[in-house]
Amino acid sequence: MFKRLIEESTEKSPWLFHINAGSCNGCDIELVSILTPRYDAERLGFKLAGSPRHADIVVVTGPVTKQSLPRVLRTIAQVPEPRCIVTMGSCPQSGNVFRGSYSIAGPLSKYVPVDVDVAGCAPKPEAIIDGLALAAKMLREKRGQKK
Amino acid sequence: MDFPFIKEAVSQLFGKSSCAMYPAVPSEAAEGYRGRIVYHPERCIACGMCERVCSGNAITRSVEHLEDGQDKITLTFNLGSCTFCASCADFCAKQAIEFTRDYHMIATSEEDLLVRGSFIKAAPKKKAPGPAKQADCQAQSGAGVKPRDDGKPVSDPSRCVYCTICARKCPVQALTVDRAAKTWMLDEEKCIACGTCAQACPKNCIIL
Repeated sequence: MFKRLIEESTEKSPWLFHINAGSCNGCDIELVSILTPRYDAERLGFKLAGSPRHADIVVVTGPVTKQSLPRVLRTIAQVPEPRCIVTMGSCPQSGNVFRGSYSIAGPLSKYVPVDVDVAGCAPKPEAIIDGLALAAKMLREKRGQKK
Repeated sequence: MDFPFIKEAVSQLFGKSSCAMYPAVPSEAAEGYRGRIVYHPERCIACGMCERVCSGNAITRSVEHLEDGQDKITLTFNLGSCTFCASCADFCAKQAIEFTRDYHMIATSEEDLLVRGSFIKAAPKKKAPGPAKQADCQAQSGAGVKPRDDGKPVSDPSRCVYCTICARKCPVQALTVDRAAKTWMLDEEKCIACGTCAQACPKNCIIL
């Protein structure tokens, strides 16, 4: 019974973990803005978690530099299954203006399966909320499959 | 005791929330917002300027040769690689690229973020057979156009797409290019032989 209660609660409130993989800080600022009172994603249940072990959704920003790649993979490996990986902005999807640079190891989809891409440079806060809502929906589907 | 912000605190307690309430209340992007790209292939002349100025390498152009000598040109815009700087729209001579205010760019696969458009470029009209054919071959190799002695530009009509970029780059307005009439004219008195037009030409068809 307890287990069911916990499962139902986590379904309504997916926790986020944010990884900066060499981002220019534009997307990071936009992600913070959706948690502040203006857009307030916490009213929809999204909460920024301090540890990857507490998270359900991983939000990756930045083009995945060679320096950050082992840390990104290690952090993502610590997030328990089922998890949802969201890339934010153009950088983790393609490298954007940094594509072809000697220090870029991206795109992220080469290393881990990416569930949702939020395009934009940087995306509008409304678009991020849409992307997270889609990620939460996919998370629910993944949990349903597991049962 | 003094409570300096008590009035403000009470008014905020009963006032309207400052939250945007986004999914319940739809929100529209501000005027001039650069969102999803809309490409108008019917206006495009395939000069390739957008591809050159794109900082994120988001634009790719592919040419498919059809059986009847026509070319099917397809431009693909990868929004997952775009910085939304609008350089391509600024440089487009024919206003074929448009940035809309649509910011809903959420994808679950890479294919969802591609904007495609293609058009068929008509083959150049063939002149009467015989000696004209020979001239055509010459023009294609560029041998038909000889550079001038005075360093002023000459255009190769076989390669020119009449995109008018050279005319707009010319610092002394010595060039007149008419897209409809397919003419390229040089005002020799105005020309200062600076070579800007040759540098700007996306087809490298101006010879100095």
